[in-house]
Amino acid sequence: MAAEMHLEERPFRRLGLRKASLPVKLWIVLLGLCLIIGVVSGVYVLVNGLGVTNLSNALPWGLWITLDLSSIGLGAGAFTLSAAVYLLGLKRFEAIARAAVMVGLLGYTSAMAALFIDIGRPDRFYHPLIYWNVHSVLWEITMCVVLYSTVLVTELFPVVVESSARLRQIKFLRSLAHRLHSFMPVVALLGVGLSMLHQSSLGATYGILTARPIWYSPSAPVLFILSAVTAGVSLTLLVTLLSGKLLAKEMIPPDIVSGVARLIGFACIAYLYLKMWSWAATNYYSYVPEQQLGAEVLKRYTPYDFTFWFGEVVFGALIPAVIFLWRRTRQNHNVLMLAAIMVIAGLVINRWNMTLSGFVIPLDWSPGVRDVFPINSYEPALVEWGVAIGIVAYSWLAYTLAVRFLNIYPDARDLPK
Amino acid sequence: MSENPQEQQPTTLPPQPSSGIISRREFVALLVGTGATLVMAATLSEPLDYFARDILTQRGSEEGHSRHRWGMVIDLRTCIGCDYCVYACQATNDTADDMRWNIRITDETPRGDTFYVTRPCLHCHHAPCVHVCPVAATYARSDGLVVMDYDKCIGCRYCQTACPYGARSFNWRERSDVNTHTPEWGAPEVPRRPKGVVEKCTFCIHRIDAGLANGLMPGVDVDATPACINICPVHARHFGDLNDPNSSVSRIIASQPTIRLREDLGTDPSVYYIPPEGLV
Repeated sequence: MAAEMHLEERPFRRLGLRKASLPVKLWIVLLGLCLIIGVVSGVYVLVNGLGVTNLSNALPWGLWITLDLSSIGLGAGAFTLSAAVYLLGLKRFEAIARAAVMVGLLGYTSAMAALFIDIGRPDRFYHPLIYWNVHSVLWEITMCVVLYSTVLVTELFPVVVESSARLRQIKFLRSLAHRLHSFMPVVALLGVGLSMLHQSSLGATYGILTARPIWYSPSAPVLFILSAVTAGVSLTLLVTLLSGKLLAKEMIPPDIVSGVARLIGFACIAYLYLKMWSWAATNYYSYVPEQQLGAEVLKRYTPYDFTFWFGEVVFGALIPAVIFLWRRTRQNHNVLMLAAIMVIAGLVINRWNMTLSGFVIPLDWSPGVRDVFPINSYEPALVEWGVAIGIVAYSWLAYTLAVRFLNIYPDARDLPK
Repeated sequence: MSENPQEQQPTTLPPQPSSGIISRREFVALLVGTGATLVMAATLSEPLDYFARDILTQRGSEEGHSRHRWGMVIDLRTCIGCDYCVYACQATNDTADDMRWNIRITDETPRGDTFYVTRPCLHCHHAPCVHVCPVAATYARSDGLVVMDYDKCIGCRYCQTACPYGARSFNWRERSDVNTHTPEWGAPEVPRRPKGVVEKCTFCIHRIDAGLANGLMPGVDVDATPACINICPVHARHFGDLNDPNSSVSRIIASQPTIRLREDLGTDPSVYYIPPEGLV
């Protein structure tokens, strides 16, 4: 219905690139350059193999896994706001739903790009779809991510048709878009279900590994999905406020901004609550020798204890929760953007900490008492950074272009000068 | 239960507001619902059971059931840390120095006595690597061997992350190095693995399978026995069928105390160690 209304009554006029201001043009050029760096690095890795990275048999996952986990986590705004609109009946959040779906699709495609480079045999990327191992959380994640990306494309298809005068004239596309639009609640709910599965399973990827005392934790899956909700919605809010700032427009009504901010605030509280209990149950109220030894090593030899408390807890969740929930700070959009950046950084730091802290503690399988196994270490190689920069640039560039060419914000209004 | 069909008979009475905790209509709906759930569970239990067991282990599928379960005993009292088994493995399976399938470390007992531990793949009965592989490229055979299908592996390295023993190596590059352990320690018997897949010790599966086909017994006949066993100058390594009570490995396990690595994890490895003195 909504799509029809926009078609007939308020035809979307795209901004295009010709009238873009100089900073926007420079921004696009910069991202284009980063994208080229990424493509060159990616081809270099594909040709030479993963030996050009700083990964090793003792520490086989690094920067790209962090990027992949972060991208999927940051794409969680799509399912969260779908759940708000279609499950909780908060229809007013529809104003930001398209932005969330766009961010989601870019997050998921970024993750797939990172994984494509990261696996040793990119030519076999489709194998999980054919050779099933239903016991593997990674198999479940792959299936869910593929299906959920299909959901996101389905959700965006009507927006693309609606935004292009040329596509709108093709009767078939028009009726298909219309039909898809009426199915949207079902599609969105399917998406919510798939996300509930794989967002948590990403945490389970680490949480189920009994041999790694730092990782092995039943709370890891729930912590992953909670942090994804906080940071995914934060990213959607950030790009929305930032677009409005750059275009001198009000992309979504102020009461929606306030509502979304509160949603993030409450999610931050829920995340903190579980996170602190998870920490207390394993590090404070109980004594598991291996776990304690690992925590001691992390504290003494790595920055991960510090980055846990300050990056993830204080700056990544506690302070933003206050900002998002306190009425006075919530009304200042600049402060909101800062808080959103803090939550996003908190998630990325968490995914990095999670990956690295589990790997640096060596597996001790020898029956003797000597310290046989060294603490592992890793710093990404230049080419790893190159690929990562390229993938991040892709998602930012795509969003910039999406705002200028697609009807992402149907309720946007020009601000009075 | 037997009264229920009668209760379901339609009555001419108009629906009455329920006087009890549960109305007749609700009761019938509950019964039908429970019945339908049971029928569905019964129908689905077989395919679900298939997913739960057979994909994981291939037990009872293509290869049929093997009566063997191959295992190893390594005597840490006699091992002198000469690394012969490491080199023989490298020559036979053509592995590079940074991706050895069989490694040796030096450890000590609480009393301070030095001892050496060599570690092949332990071929766990409940192998974490088999559980986590998203494409079932690594799987357990019914004879206890945990093997790799190099044609399926996508190189995600989750198995390396999950293995408690660090027994898996990844092909970080296309191999072009010269095997420095040939010909002194043996000749390569298997092709090199391609760039981008994970590999690990196979218990010299090619010798076992070919040996059995030719009527040889692994662990007894040299040609059917892993290279690391044959080369050991102090006979610290033994190989054989754990299911056969008369095999050398079964007799050692029955007659002396043995340990397995990280038994607390419940992986149920097929490699047993005779601990050095002073180590329980």
